[in-house]
Amino acid sequence: MGVTEQGLLEREKDTMTLNMGPSHPSTHGVFRAVLEMDGEIVGSADPDIGYLHTGIEKTSENKRYVHVIPMTDRLDYLNPPGNNLAFCLTTEKLLQIEIPPRAQYLRVIHCELARIASHLVWLATHALDIGAMTVFLYAWREREMILDLNEEISGVRMMTSYIRVGGVAKDATPPWLKGVRDFVNYFPAKVDEYEKLLTQNPIWLDRTQGVGVMSREEAINFSMSGPCLRGSGVDFDFRKKRPYSGYENFKFAVPTRKEGDVYSRYLVRVEEMRQSRDIIAQALDRLPVGDHKAPDNKVSLPPRDTLHNSMEALIHHFKLVSEGISVPRGETYVPIEGPRGEVGFYIVSDGSNVPYRVKLRAPSFMAIHGMCEMMSGSFIADVVAIIGSVDIVMGEVDR
Amino acid sequence: MTSEEIVERVRTSLGKAVLKGEVTLGDAVVHIAPESLPRVARWLKEDPDLDFDYLSNISGVDYLDLDREPRFEAVYEFHSIEKNHSIRLRVGIGEEHPSVPSVTAIWAGANFPERELFDMFGIAVEGHPNLKRLIMPENWEGHPLRRDYPLTVEDVAFSFNRDYKKELVQQKPPTR
Repeated sequence: MGVTEQGLLEREKDTMTLNMGPSHPSTHGVFRAVLEMDGEIVGSADPDIGYLHTGIEKTSENKRYVHVIPMTDRLDYLNPPGNNLAFCLTTEKLLQIEIPPRAQYLRVIHCELARIASHLVWLATHALDIGAMTVFLYAWREREMILDLNEEISGVRMMTSYIRVGGVAKDATPPWLKGVRDFVNYFPAKVDEYEKLLTQNPIWLDRTQGVGVMSREEAINFSMSGPCLRGSGVDFDFRKKRPYSGYENFKFAVPTRKEGDVYSRYLVRVEEMRQSRDIIAQALDRLPVGDHKAPDNKVSLPPRDTLHNSMEALIHHFKLVSEGISVPRGETYVPIEGPRGEVGFYIVSDGSNVPYRVKLRAPSFMAIHGMCEMMSGSFIADVVAIIGSVDIVMGEVDR
Repeated sequence: MTSEEIVERVRTSLGKAVLKGEVTLGDAVVHIAPESLPRVARWLKEDPDLDFDYLSNISGVDYLDLDREPRFEAVYEFHSIEKNHSIRLRVGIGEEHPSVPSVTAIWAGANFPERELFDMFGIAVEGHPNLKRLIMPENWEGHPLRRDYPLTVEDVAFSFNRDYKKELVQQKPPTR
């Protein structure tokens, strides 16, 4: 940089480099973007990630299958059941075991509750970023109820690890089911309340409509998934297209919007909360009776009371606790639909009780590049709206 | 299309470029060599019957402990949004100067996973627009997801036993 005759600093270029993050309240974690600003317009955004790298994929290569499940909770920490389910479904596909219907229904209830909770966090923080404080407090209130339900069934509020290989950790109790039923009856009026605050709100419309537009072709090309894909008019949801864990038994709609802007992603997610609520209601109505985990003693622990009078049960218990599940050689990938989009684990097994390679397909990780493309050309004030609307979780980006 | 039909179609159309086509656990899997990746990838996307317009995932695998040749593998998952089917492309990569051609020109979403492949496995992605480390710091040494990457030490700057740790890194103890 030189000095002009008037003694002013000479600029080499007309743009300014602006550092955003890594600790910025609207980046939802530790995400850093280097913005090349041309006045108020973002010229380009260069993402910088890795601040939350915890080496979970590497650690998984040295842990037994059962021990990997609690680590998957910490990947996308707003959707722990979805990660558990993706990992368990992949392992079960390698093991080739059948899951009893009751376990499948309990998994669905648990995952849909997590989807609602995750969307509530998204709505709360996204609205707060744009300046709507009230929604933040309202959404947190309902999320608290879901966390209480999580605590009741799994003992943990967020990192539930409730879904296990072969089924779920323990059977649902009548009080818990009643609690879920109460929540299901209570929740629709609350969604209407959020919508009353935002959907027709002129400030909200100004800040979100026509902002961060992504066309259908771009969304597919940039490997966006979940609500970002459906907000751009792509009708693709793994729960409908390739039903897993019994989703074919439920009636629900997949909301899509054509506009591809921040507002359309907002509408898609709000409608998804209603649909998730409907799925939970149907699952409660038709919850089958039976086992909550596969009766295969090579995979799931035998019932506790049989240990006292069955030698075989005792041996299986000892082997499972001391050695864990042995998974046949092979490799596979099972995609599921998480709140942020396609979640899947690519697992390579060498036939032992420890996975040889675990790779997470994280929707947020794949979305970051597309998100930065959305930012270029937008106003600096819209950057927070775009980041909020893509709903990234840095835990699964950096892994 | 079913997985069998996909594998059959890929095999008949691409001929020798397909090293092996199989259906494992219901998934269509095709093995190819790195040099035929750009041609195969473009064909997979542009073929009207297959229409693999969506890149889902790229995983790297290091088969060092399984004594498999070639040592590395890049595994690509593709979906077709319209046709609702998938294929897995497994690209074996040798140990000497591992490299694989980039597919960012075909699917823009490949940008980040390819950088991760380079960062974690040291597989150079040829033709990538911005090939630098993604998750690890830029001055990091080694590629953490390789199987011979030492687990027992961490090479931290300003550490009081830095020299001792350097020695351990060079000895490369077994990973497990």
